[in-house]
Amino acid sequence: MKTQKIGAWIAVLFGASYFIIPLIATFEFSLRMRRGEYSFDAYRSVFADVQFRESFSYSIVMAILTIVFGVLLVVPTAYWVRLRLPQMRPFVEFITLMPLVIPAIVIVFGYLRLYNSSSFIPFTGSARGTDLLLMFSFMTLSLPYMYRSVDTAMRTIDVATLTEAAQSLGASWPTIMFKCIFPNVMSGVLSGAFITFAIVIGEFTMPSLLNRPAFGPYLQLIGANRAYEPPALAIIAFAITWASMALLQLVSRFSKSAPSKP
Amino acid sequence: MSFLELSGIQKSFGPVQVVHDFDMTIEKGEFVSFLGPSGCGKTTVLRMIAGFETPSGGTIRINGKNQESLKPNQRNIGMVFQAYALFPNMTVHDNVAFGLKIAGMNKAAVDARVKEMLGLIHLGHLADRFPYQMSGGQQQRVALARALAPKPQVLLLDEPLSALDAKIRVSLREEIRMIQQQLGITTVFVTHDQEEALSISDRIVVMNSGRADQIGTPFDIYNKPATRFVASFVGTLNLIEATVVDPASNRISIGDQAITLREPLGPVKAGDTVSLALRPEAGSIAESAKGDTALTGQVVSSNFLGSVIRTRMKVGDPVISFDMFNAPGLSPPAVGDVVTLRFTASDLLIIRE
Amino acid sequence: MSAKQAIDFRKTAIDWLGILPFLLFAVMFLIAPTLYLVTGAFLNPAGEFTFDNISGLFTDKILASYWISIRVSLASSLGGAFIGFFLAWAVVLGGLPSWIRSSLLTFSGVASNFAGVPLAFAFLATLGRTGLVTLLLRDWFGINLYATGFNLLSFIGLTITYMYFQIPLMVLIITPALDGLKKEWREAAEILGATNTQYWMKVALPILFPSILGTTLLLFANAFGAIATAYSLTGSTFNIVPIQLYAQIRGDVLHNPNLGYALALGMIVITGISNLIYIWLRMRAERWQK
Ligand SMILES: Nc1ncnc2c1ncn2[C@@H]1O[C@H](COP(=O)(O)OP(=O)(O)O)[C@@H](O)[C@H]1O
Ligand SMILES: [Mg+2]
Repeated sequence: MKTQKIGAWIAVLFGASYFIIPLIATFEFSLRMRRGEYSFDAYRSVFADVQFRESFSYSIVMAILTIVFGVLLVVPTAYWVRLRLPQMRPFVEFITLMPLVIPAIVIVFGYLRLYNSSSFIPFTGSARGTDLLLMFSFMTLSLPYMYRSVDTAMRTIDVATLTEAAQSLGASWPTIMFKCIFPNVMSGVLSGAFITFAIVIGEFTMPSLLNRPAFGPYLQLIGANRAYEPPALAIIAFAITWASMALLQLVSRFSKSAPSKP
Repeated sequence: MSFLELSGIQKSFGPVQVVHDFDMTIEKGEFVSFLGPSGCGKTTVLRMIAGFETPSGGTIRINGKNQESLKPNQRNIGMVFQAYALFPNMTVHDNVAFGLKIAGMNKAAVDARVKEMLGLIHLGHLADRFPYQMSGGQQQRVALARALAPKPQVLLLDEPLSALDAKIRVSLREEIRMIQQQLGITTVFVTHDQEEALSISDRIVVMNSGRADQIGTPFDIYNKPATRFVASFVGTLNLIEATVVDPASNRISIGDQAITLREPLGPVKAGDTVSLALRPEAGSIAESAKGDTALTGQVVSSNFLGSVIRTRMKVGDPVISFDMFNAPGLSPPAVGDVVTLRFTASDLLIIRE
Repeated sequence: MSAKQAIDFRKTAIDWLGILPFLLFAVMFLIAPTLYLVTGAFLNPAGEFTFDNISGLFTDKILASYWISIRVSLASSLGGAFIGFFLAWAVVLGGLPSWIRSSLLTFSGVASNFAGVPLAFAFLATLGRTGLVTLLLRDWFGINLYATGFNLLSFIGLTITYMYFQIPLMVLIITPALDGLKKEWREAAEILGATNTQYWMKVALPILFPSILGTTLLLFANAFGAIATAYSLTGSTFNIVPIQLYAQIRGDVLHNPNLGYALALGMIVITGISNLIYIWLRMRAERWQK
């Protein structure tokens, strides 16, 4: 099978070039700021920018809030569906997949019409309200990934037995939830968290249309007005994505080898 | 000239040699089983016949033709795999028709042949099912029909029953044997289950670490094991260590009880150890039992196995098992009882490695 | 109502109470907004039922934006599926060292999530007018890329850019499907006389077909709804549907809010249909792979 192997190498080399050349080009471009020599000036300029720091911290705070509230919504739901409402699983799964079907821009369009300052839930009437709406929109975007990873983790534990055991020891519902269920689906929660983090940090459409100063719209603004900072930002964004995915892999590998304790 | 000839077959994977000097001839229409423990090289030999592996040495001939330069798709061989390996995207009909269509048969002829094959395995009514809609036993029968449809010169089966329930395993192996005899197709059947091999084969090859230890009829393999390995792997033979007392008169002793063998001991001297084999059903402890030889021992266990009761007794160091048929009114020996087992001296076989 | 029925009823009620927060969330942030747009697409500004908005989509400008969106999505999903399939094939069945497989899968995990604005920056730095590849082609090979009619801010440019996340997505989804091809299927086909080509045409590709087609549709929907990359690459000069909708949300450029709803409805219909077929095909594929 000589030809097969040659074909395979050609495919891999082509793929590798497609993936790596843009990264090299972006990095090279980001070093060109100073005339005639390579320098990290573009990175310096990015890190010195107050707006960079503000929008980046804003997005990080948003990401953390999204993860916390997303987990609080998803874990009990996935648990309850497995424990008490197994017949509802297809329906719940369908709902969680909806954000993949309906484009983000359409969803946020709906928000703007439903929750504007003159509606009876005027989320967008105030900055804090808009932040809240933005967080909910991030939760919506990450719902498919969060639900899937938590539900997958839950499949490996027997929720019914675990619950009965805890109940027989006199545990209350909050205790069961936070002492039994959460620790056992931690790997799923963490996987979901890292994907959510990557999504929230890069998201452009929702914060842009809700007019909030997040990292995504900031990137777009810089792209429209500067020459050398955008590639530097692209490299930074790639590094962040890489780190999130590396942590995700680490978590899933770690949880596979570690036995789940009751 | 035999139909399928394997001569001096060798196979190494990297530095590890897994098949050594394998010689075997199979007659047309014969049903031969390769029997041996897992990892002994049965599948490797089968795959070399099929052409999926290239032998490191030796030749394979089918009907006199050297197969060396032939790819699997040029050999006209039928093969059945352990995990069925039906094409999941095709119905039963299309699975069986696959080889016929590849061979360029016209549609009417294909349909007729498929119908015939499905009739043979009694699954004509399931022609439109997909594999995932059928039980394991049904799938394996379809796999058999698929392999046989293009009228292969040789049929190879690699542990085709291992994935099935015990009940189906027995009925399907009988069905395979019946179909094989009906079609008169030369067949090689790989298994690690000695009962399976004994029940359906014309001849059995007992394999041990890549070598053929013994080739013979089921009767020979069971009653006259050629090596210690065959004796211990096939059946539930007792393997007994005995001490030579007097080579000239064939006297040996088992746990200090001296007996005389029928078979000549050969070149040994007094004090040497020899291995003897005794089938559990060869002797009896009944008062009325006939036999020119007797051994007395203490019962260490007695297990009810349905049709037989298997008892183990200690004769000095060696432990010997024997079976008696279950009958109402029979009182099995209790642990601790001292019993005398009578048998014919010629039932004691000397195992020479 | 007997006592037992009353207890049953209470138990059912509690069961439902458990997923109430989720249902509330789904209604507020997924279902209601979508329904609002969908119904709005069939109402005129006075709130009466009408098909005017739908027929309003069939103007040259809007049709053109749907058409360019569909073309970009189709081209990038077909290209991504094609290249992604060969990459997956190479690492699963091509007999390459195993570190290549794990590197490719890890990288694909990252690259499939590397979309949006930064991706546009990366391709501007690569194939833009002063991008590295553009310059190298000029200096080393004397090829003036932009004189050949190439433009990153065009159909072809956007397609190449989108493929940067489409290819890895395909690799990630199709690799398990290729892993699911049993070695015995190939051997069974071979021993029945089939050549390698016959095996691929009659067995492997038909088995993979639901996965390949399904994933292509998923990639299509993925590209169709994307806006950030295109927007920061081309500004609002390149009129794909999401950019048109973005402009409409920002400033009612169509001068008819309900026409905007119809535009959104059109997007939902297209991504919805492709996703539903994807899910259906996926279920079929899983049934076979059991
Ligand atoms: N492709 C291979 N590469 C390396 N070793 C192999 C390969 N196939 C089989 N072996 C080794 O050869 C020996 C015989 O294997 P096999 O023929 O499958 O045994 P059996 O079918 O009797 O269980 C085993 O030790 C196995 O590990
Ligand atoms: Mg085997």
